[in-house]
Amino acid sequence: CKKYLDVNPQDRILTSNYYKTQTEVFSGLVSIYDSFGYQYSGLYDKVAIMDVASDDHWAGGGGPGDINDLQVMETYKLNSQSGPSTYLWSKGYQGIFRANFFLSKVTDAPIDAGLKSRFAAEAKTLRAIFYFDLVRFFKNIPLLLQEVDPAKVNDVVQALPAEVYAQMEKDLSEAIPALPATVPAATEGGRITKGAAQALLGKVYLWQKKFDKAAEQFALVNGPTPGQVNPANGYKLLNNYADLWNVNNKFNSESILEIVKTTSSNGGWSNAGASDGNLLNIITGPRGYQPIKPDAPDYYPGYGFLSFTKEFFAVIHYDPRNAPTVANLDSLRKNGIANYSDSYNNTGYMLEKFIGRQKNKPATGQTELNFGQDIYEIRLADTYLLEVDALLNGGAAVGAGSRAYQLLNAVRARVGLNPVAVTMDNLVLERRLELAGEGHRWLDLVRWGRTSVLAYKGFDATKNTVFPIPQKELNNTKIEQNKEWGGTK
Amino acid sequence: QDITVKGTVTDQKNGIPIPGVTVKALGSSKGTLTDVSGNFVIAVPQGTKLTFSQLGMVSQTVTVSSSAAIRIALSEDSKALGEVVVVGYGTQKKSVVTGAISGVKAADLENQPVNRIEQALQGRTSGLTIAATSGQPGSASTVRLRGVTSFGENSNNKNNPLWVVDGVVIDNGGIGYLNQSDIESIEVLKDAAAAAIYGARSASGVILVTTKKGKEGTLTINYSGYYGTQAPAKKLDLLNASQYADVINRAFAAGLKNGGQPLPFPNPSALGQGTDWQSVIFNNDARKQNHEVSISGGNEKSTFYTSAGYNLMDGIVATPISKWNRANVRLNSTHKIRKWWTIGENLGYSHTVNSGIGAVNREFGGPLSSAINLSPTMPIVETNPALLGQLPYTNANVVRDANGNPYGIPASGFQEMTNPLAYIQTRLGNYNWDHNIVGNAFVELEPLKGLRIRSTIGTKLAFYGNDAFSPLAYFSTTASTPRSTFRRELNYSIAYNLENTISYTRDFNKHNVTLLLGQGNYKDGYSRQLVTTYFDIPATDFNSANMRFKPIEANKTTSGDEGTEHKVNSFFSRVQYNYDEKYLLTALIRRDGSSRFGPNHKFGYFPSVSAGWVPTREDFFPKNNIVNTLKIRGSYGVTGNDVIGDFAYVATVGSGRNYPFGTAGNVIIGYSPEASPNPNLKWEETKQTDIGIDATLFNDFTLTADWYKKKTTGILQTPPTPDYVGSGSPARNLGDMQNTGFELELGYRKQIGQIRFGISGNASWLKNEVTKLAPDVNFIETDGASFQNMGTITRTQPGHSFNEFYGYQNLGLFQSQAEIDNYKGPKGTVLQPNAKPGDIKFANLNGDETIDVNDRTFLGSPIPKFTYGFTINLGYKNFDLVAFGSGVAGNKIFQGLRRLDIANANYQTKILNSWTPSNTNTNIPRLAVDDPNENYKKFSSLYLENGDFFRLRTLQIGYTLPKATVEKLKLQKLRIYVLTENLFTITKYSGYDPELGVGPDAGSGGAFSIDRGAYPQARTFLIGINVGF
Repeated sequence: CKKYLDVNPQDRILTSNYYKTQTEVFSGLVSIYDSFGYQYSGLYDKVAIMDVASDDHWAGGGGPGDINDLQVMETYKLNSQSGPSTYLWSKGYQGIFRANFFLSKVTDAPIDAGLKSRFAAEAKTLRAIFYFDLVRFFKNIPLLLQEVDPAKVNDVVQALPAEVYAQMEKDLSEAIPALPATVPAATEGGRITKGAAQALLGKVYLWQKKFDKAAEQFALVNGPTPGQVNPANGYKLLNNYADLWNVNNKFNSESILEIVKTTSSNGGWSNAGASDGNLLNIITGPRGYQPIKPDAPDYYPGYGFLSFTKEFFAVIHYDPRNAPTVANLDSLRKNGIANYSDSYNNTGYMLEKFIGRQKNKPATGQTELNFGQDIYEIRLADTYLLEVDALLNGGAAVGAGSRAYQLLNAVRARVGLNPVAVTMDNLVLERRLELAGEGHRWLDLVRWGRTSVLAYKGFDATKNTVFPIPQKELNNTKIEQNKEWGGTK
Repeated sequence: QDITVKGTVTDQKNGIPIPGVTVKALGSSKGTLTDVSGNFVIAVPQGTKLTFSQLGMVSQTVTVSSSAAIRIALSEDSKALGEVVVVGYGTQKKSVVTGAISGVKAADLENQPVNRIEQALQGRTSGLTIAATSGQPGSASTVRLRGVTSFGENSNNKNNPLWVVDGVVIDNGGIGYLNQSDIESIEVLKDAAAAAIYGARSASGVILVTTKKGKEGTLTINYSGYYGTQAPAKKLDLLNASQYADVINRAFAAGLKNGGQPLPFPNPSALGQGTDWQSVIFNNDARKQNHEVSISGGNEKSTFYTSAGYNLMDGIVATPISKWNRANVRLNSTHKIRKWWTIGENLGYSHTVNSGIGAVNREFGGPLSSAINLSPTMPIVETNPALLGQLPYTNANVVRDANGNPYGIPASGFQEMTNPLAYIQTRLGNYNWDHNIVGNAFVELEPLKGLRIRSTIGTKLAFYGNDAFSPLAYFSTTASTPRSTFRRELNYSIAYNLENTISYTRDFNKHNVTLLLGQGNYKDGYSRQLVTTYFDIPATDFNSANMRFKPIEANKTTSGDEGTEHKVNSFFSRVQYNYDEKYLLTALIRRDGSSRFGPNHKFGYFPSVSAGWVPTREDFFPKNNIVNTLKIRGSYGVTGNDVIGDFAYVATVGSGRNYPFGTAGNVIIGYSPEASPNPNLKWEETKQTDIGIDATLFNDFTLTADWYKKKTTGILQTPPTPDYVGSGSPARNLGDMQNTGFELELGYRKQIGQIRFGISGNASWLKNEVTKLAPDVNFIETDGASFQNMGTITRTQPGHSFNEFYGYQNLGLFQSQAEIDNYKGPKGTVLQPNAKPGDIKFANLNGDETIDVNDRTFLGSPIPKFTYGFTINLGYKNFDLVAFGSGVAGNKIFQGLRRLDIANANYQTKILNSWTPSNTNTNIPRLAVDDPNENYKKFSSLYLENGDFFRLRTLQIGYTLPKATVEKLKLQKLRIYVLTENLFTITKYSGYDPELGVGPDAGSGGAFSIDRGAYPQARTFLIGINVGF
């Protein structure tokens, strides 16, 4: 009668029977990328958090409680129980678990050796991406390189940040040789390339203030002649800045690593975070947007989040990047071209780069959750400016004609601006304008120690340079809260 | 030559006249019934034999010799159902039962207008906590037997008792097919001694339902029906438009960011009453009706009971989309093929069609929540031409009323909230349906007297699904349906059980022994689902939508699903012994294997033993009029719970971890491991001790009292895995929980002259305590209830009951800045620097320098500690009155009716008493739009209210027509009655209804008493009729 009790788990796949074919192994790799692209069901992602935390954006939305995690981020009223910490933490460790598990399986998988090493290199790079975010956001984090023993789940302790950085350097250094310089965009666009891993390694060095090593990596990514095609990987700044935000321009020559989004994942409200559509596209849309005149932009009405502050608008207003960056709803309404409803703390300046368009509406599925614009994790203008940063702070020559000068001004020349000298203030301003709304500014400000500009939002330099570790991680475990948040680490 | 014979039939035991006794002349068609006073008159020839028969009584036959009055005293038939208790795989004389079993009989259920069978038990037996989850017609109630038996993931399913209908195992959701008029009796097996015969599925208790059977010798045709109207029992006092504008202005002015800006409502008093959204969606005349015809009868070879019923109920909220109706057919019959060979079947079929308002007891999206939270300044229908020419009213998809006027559109900031009338209009016609066939067929052989061999095959076959059309709609800036969809869902599921038993009963002198051996195979969980959605078909409403439109492939989606089979394989045996009905003993053991158990624990053994002593049958017991009968009984046993998830003991990979590569954006399916496996996974085990007495006192009182202690060990716990693990950890048998309780059932019956009086009541005290969690785990909140942005509001921790409310302690309001400045931590830090006078002072319970999550504490339990119910029966001549009420005490309710994430959501009028510098004598904190002190955003005792209530559930007055009139109408019986449900509820609770079962949404964590805008119970007035032909 024991046999009677054997129920065929037809709806389950046993781990022991899996990872036997190339398709199965690849599906394991895909699951790590899934964590890389994972957005929160409460309709936000890392970019949204970083934007709202910065001095460039208001949370906006429908009111002071709408997407509460973003609202408390904006006002720095977050704590270990509310705010975006849980999303950032669990996203990272979910990806690390999948990468660790994958790496433990891929070694013995009966598939082609070359594929195996490429797959492993991708997994290691992704693991480094997860750790890089975690260590920057939470500083004191557990460093896990294999599955946690189920019996010792509560015994995990935090590593020193330096140990985490060392592991990232190791993972990336091991991965770089096994990664392809380019991938066919049509079929493999979005996969990790050599350039992506090098750029990431450069950032890992830069955040540790290892300026020379950082500059060395960025130089490999950026190429010998700033502004010209890098023959090693084909990277080149796009001629037209606005083309970066054309949704059909995926995997362009400026793109180093992007989070791939699609209109066809059929995401639904029951688990919005699992959609592979771009949630920024809907949350940044102006509330109740209605075109009046035919020349009105074809914005898809959304939830009115991530509006720019008036102060930021004043800074970018006369920059050539203004139009591709800021959707000036204030002007559209005043001129009777289009109408919309105010967001909370409305300014009338919305995030043009990400607003969903009628013409890009998904053909199937829940419209709001299935816009298909990719999000740049790393792009060439970013690594140009980071190399400038490394050179400048590393004490390299930065005068006219220097490499740093050429890099900085290649970014400016692309949008038709005259050269400027390489100074910290010029670099800070250039990054702010070039990368506006893309989630870089807060991390830059914290790295530079220039957080005083955030004070008006409630930023407290004695605690807000790191995020509070979520309360759930502390309950019954050996994890200690960061001292900035009243803990001991 | 006929002579007229008069007479009276009484109960031999107490001399009370018995109405409704069948008096039949043998050899002729003549017959009559006794009236309410037990009297009869019949004209028959001299020498005729008259038989007197009544269910539960031993029939008597007398020969008419003269016209002298005949006095008949019928004695109780100990073999009849009235004195026999169904105990699982058999019946037992009530006088020798040693388990704790409470029962409800058909007579108690008659004319109670419930449409789900569990509601018929509410308040009627001790040990059961039953609470409606929703007033939505046809909604299941939450049923807990002797407290919460288990906790953790899936706790709602785990704690549902096992329902067994005529021997067929049915899950809690599945018993909705039963028609209460078909119920003969319901037995609640409360202690382990009674329940352990159902082994690994009995830990949360077992409820046995027996349907009516035909009876030899009589052909009975009955019709019963009622018709009536329902209305909401209560409306909330919400702010009207001008009050609302005042309050919003007040909150706005107190906001930090908004200093100097103009108020949102410059002239509140000009707004007047505004819209009363509750009146818009409430229906004060929702219909309810029921009709049922049954025919039963039989001869010495065959008996049958067959019935057909139709039940219809409209909801009191948003009636056009809140309806329920059910049709039932039943056929039960038995056939004696040979003297030793019987076959038969019990078959029920039901078909239900219903529609629901969608979000039930959920704060998001439903029309009830909208009615509570929408601004009263918003019009039902917008008619102002100036506004109609502008956005948003110029949107092509605005929803319009029958006159073509657009329904009012909520202002920006009301999130996904919709005008409830627009919402109703876009859901018109959508419905759910099901067909259920539940039944069994059996063969029983009796080769020797007392030896019965029985085989039963039972099945539950269900087909269910729904059709829904969503037209293009624009509700607000944040809620719209940009593409129309037509969605059809089809499901079917099959469960079966096969059972074979042998029983042998024998008396040796005064020794009575019954032995039972049995074997069973069970399978359920097999289900198949298909869902198809068509987009953009050329239909404008539900009636014009159909699947004959063939959209292009891109406008079609299909998905499917299937359940995991669950199999159980069992052996069981039981011995029941008594000596002269004086010394009683029952012992049993069941062995269950379940497909859910890990390979290291494939089979579980569930034994129980119970014993009783009846001192009143001892010779030495003095004959007296105080204690007429007394039985003392005790039991101990082990039961199990196998609701522990499927395949939790093997390592599996899960899908849905997808990612798109390449320019085409094709999604590639990703797989990664689920939680790691636990091969040691086994059932949860519940050990229960019960000590009880059954007594008859002073001739008229009956009393049953039970004390029990029930301890569940090995409760499945997924130790709350920190997220750094990256995946779930496996569930393990780690937790313990204990319930102790005391139960009392009392009855009293008396007739004084023409007045008949009876009262029966029950009361249950319960203490629930979690005693152990996983090692190193001090508490769990992961399975708790959560509310909006507050996060988890309950905590399960040893020493406390399951999912107690857990939040900040509210020390009252700050009255001055000085109080705020002086409220310091031990090192002198001001604890609430953002506070202003009128804000809540939160207790600094951990004594540090900040008020934070570590200052939260237990604020009360959602589980009632005391539940009670009583029924009063009064009769006078042909009139009868039944009053039935029940209540609970000792729990708290979380009142979460207002949306916290909508700054401009409406309030109940008690907010008018919020703190202002001129109104300081209040406990309602000041209003400020950004709420910097988080008075309203933090979960504190501010949100908890006392959950005590008493409800008069039904009050019924009936009139039975006098015999002479009935005979003229050529009928056997005719009774008419009027009935009211929920006539009143005594409670201090400020929401609609204090009766709140476990919410159907995922955020309830299995906790009772959380009100997110639960659909309230209706107050009903009905008239009904019972006719016997």
